[in-house]
Amino acid sequence: MGEPLRSGMVDSPRSLTEKLPSWARWSRWREVLVGYGLILPSLWVFLVFYYGPALFLLYIAFFHWNIFASQSTFVGFHNFVELVHQPVFWQSLLNTAYYVVLVVPVTTLLALALALLLREATRIRGGGISRALVFLPHVTPVVATSIIWVWIFDPNFGLANTVLRFLHLPQLQWLASVHWALPSVMIYTVWHSAGLYTILFLAGLATIPRQVLEAAQVDGARSWFTFRRILWPLISPITFFVIVLVSINTMQTFSQIYTLTGGPHGGAGGPAFSTTTDSLLIYQTAFLYEHFSLASAMSLVLFVLILVLTLGQKFLADRFVFYR
Amino acid sequence: MLQRVLIYGSRAFIAIAFALPIYWVLVIATGYHGAVYALPPVWVPLFHWSPFRDVLTHTHWSRYLMNSVFISAMTIILVVITSALAGYALAELRFPGNSLYFYAILGVMMLPQQALLVPQYVMMYHLHLLNNYAGLIVPFAASTSGIFLFRQFFKKLPVSYREIAQLEGVGTLRYIWRVAVPLARPAVATTVLLTFISSWNQFQWPLIMTNSPAIQPIELALSHYMQAYQANWRELTSAALIALAPILLVFAFTQRHIVNAVAGGELSQKD
Repeated sequence: MGEPLRSGMVDSPRSLTEKLPSWARWSRWREVLVGYGLILPSLWVFLVFYYGPALFLLYIAFFHWNIFASQSTFVGFHNFVELVHQPVFWQSLLNTAYYVVLVVPVTTLLALALALLLREATRIRGGGISRALVFLPHVTPVVATSIIWVWIFDPNFGLANTVLRFLHLPQLQWLASVHWALPSVMIYTVWHSAGLYTILFLAGLATIPRQVLEAAQVDGARSWFTFRRILWPLISPITFFVIVLVSINTMQTFSQIYTLTGGPHGGAGGPAFSTTTDSLLIYQTAFLYEHFSLASAMSLVLFVLILVLTLGQKFLADRFVFYR
Repeated sequence: MLQRVLIYGSRAFIAIAFALPIYWVLVIATGYHGAVYALPPVWVPLFHWSPFRDVLTHTHWSRYLMNSVFISAMTIILVVITSALAGYALAELRFPGNSLYFYAILGVMMLPQQALLVPQYVMMYHLHLLNNYAGLIVPFAASTSGIFLFRQFFKKLPVSYREIAQLEGVGTLRYIWRVAVPLARPAVATTVLLTFISSWNQFQWPLIMTNSPAIQPIELALSHYMQAYQANWRELTSAALIALAPILLVFAFTQRHIVNAVAGGELSQKD
């Protein structure tokens, strides 16, 4: 007898074609060829436009180069040294951190609260409609809806200040103010994306067996107790998933910052770099100032940051998340 | 009873709060001239459609609209084809690298898009894809979620269908196109809808990869217009309404399907 069949061998065509009649062997090879043929179109797109550039980034970050010149020179960590001497780079990291640290918990908690409120929405008439309306902003194009939010944040005629006036609160300059421009973008982002995460929470809540909750009610558990001791542990995997997703997405926010802070307030990222986040700075460095070497170094920093964040959250999840 | 009223009331209030800014686009676009500056704000749309009609007929907005339609339509067609093919290969065919490709697709989902734009731009430059329609379509011709969706559906097809097709001498492509895809109609619908939304809402990619007004999609045109003439609120919101309307129409008729697709089908038992 030969060696015992290793599990890795099962998929290889050779082990499958041995001892088969020739027509069957041909049809086995045909299946392999057809398989490669069928994945080829999408594989090509992924390799050329995603994996290729990802590898290419590792290369260009360590070179001094220009897109229009053919030669490039190896400069080691020079691009990164130049980067850390740019104050605006540190400013952009701080802005991104501020943005992420506020948007992630607010969005997650709001989405969870909305999901709990909208739960069983489809059991009553029109309940599905409120679920759809909460989700609606997420499918709208960012520029088209940013236009109306620029008006809402207008210091003189906007809805935001009208509401503040109604509540007898001091009015704000919103997008025109150094302190309130980034929070204004945060408000837009929460409005635009909370619906998506609400739906993800609803999906998580739908997997909890009704009997579990009914049993808790029979036992006379108070609603906070039910939530803290029963619902919260059961949905912790989905909470974790949502937190990871919101963090990754908020670290890469671009369109609404570009649109909301552009226009008459003088270039995107303003006023006074108060809304210049990492992705906006990469865009401006590369495509406005055509400083590609510096932009690729920044891209690599962002790439590593997102990777570390994802892995760090994975590490925390392994310790604190309850998986069924 | 009071509790129920409170729950329904808050539910309705929250839902309306989320939809309010979108409603406001309509209010300003069809309001009287200068309605944006009215204090207190005007709450009802007056349906003065003339600025909207002017925008559609006398300006370049119809061109931008057609650009968006063309780019989205081509992307949808290509995504459905590539997703169905790869999804079928992953679900039904045994070939070395099958599971490797599965993980490679997961990997694409994990790549941070913002960090890739600079090398992607270089790639597009060398492939001569800057400033043309192909450059706005081809990079989005394959969809990770589309492939997974078709794979999931094709896995549920009975093996006997394929065996019969093989005995009858039906080729793989013919089988996919005539049998498998029609049986996976929900996957087709979901892929079409989600691709339409992401493709129609595309902004940053055209911003970077094009600079000719002739091919720019409506979102990009809106952003240029917004920076140039922000005070012209009625025309601006009318153009925004043109960009919004297709999304709103599609969403109005398919919201149940879209919400369910985003939830991964988890809500379907309750609907």
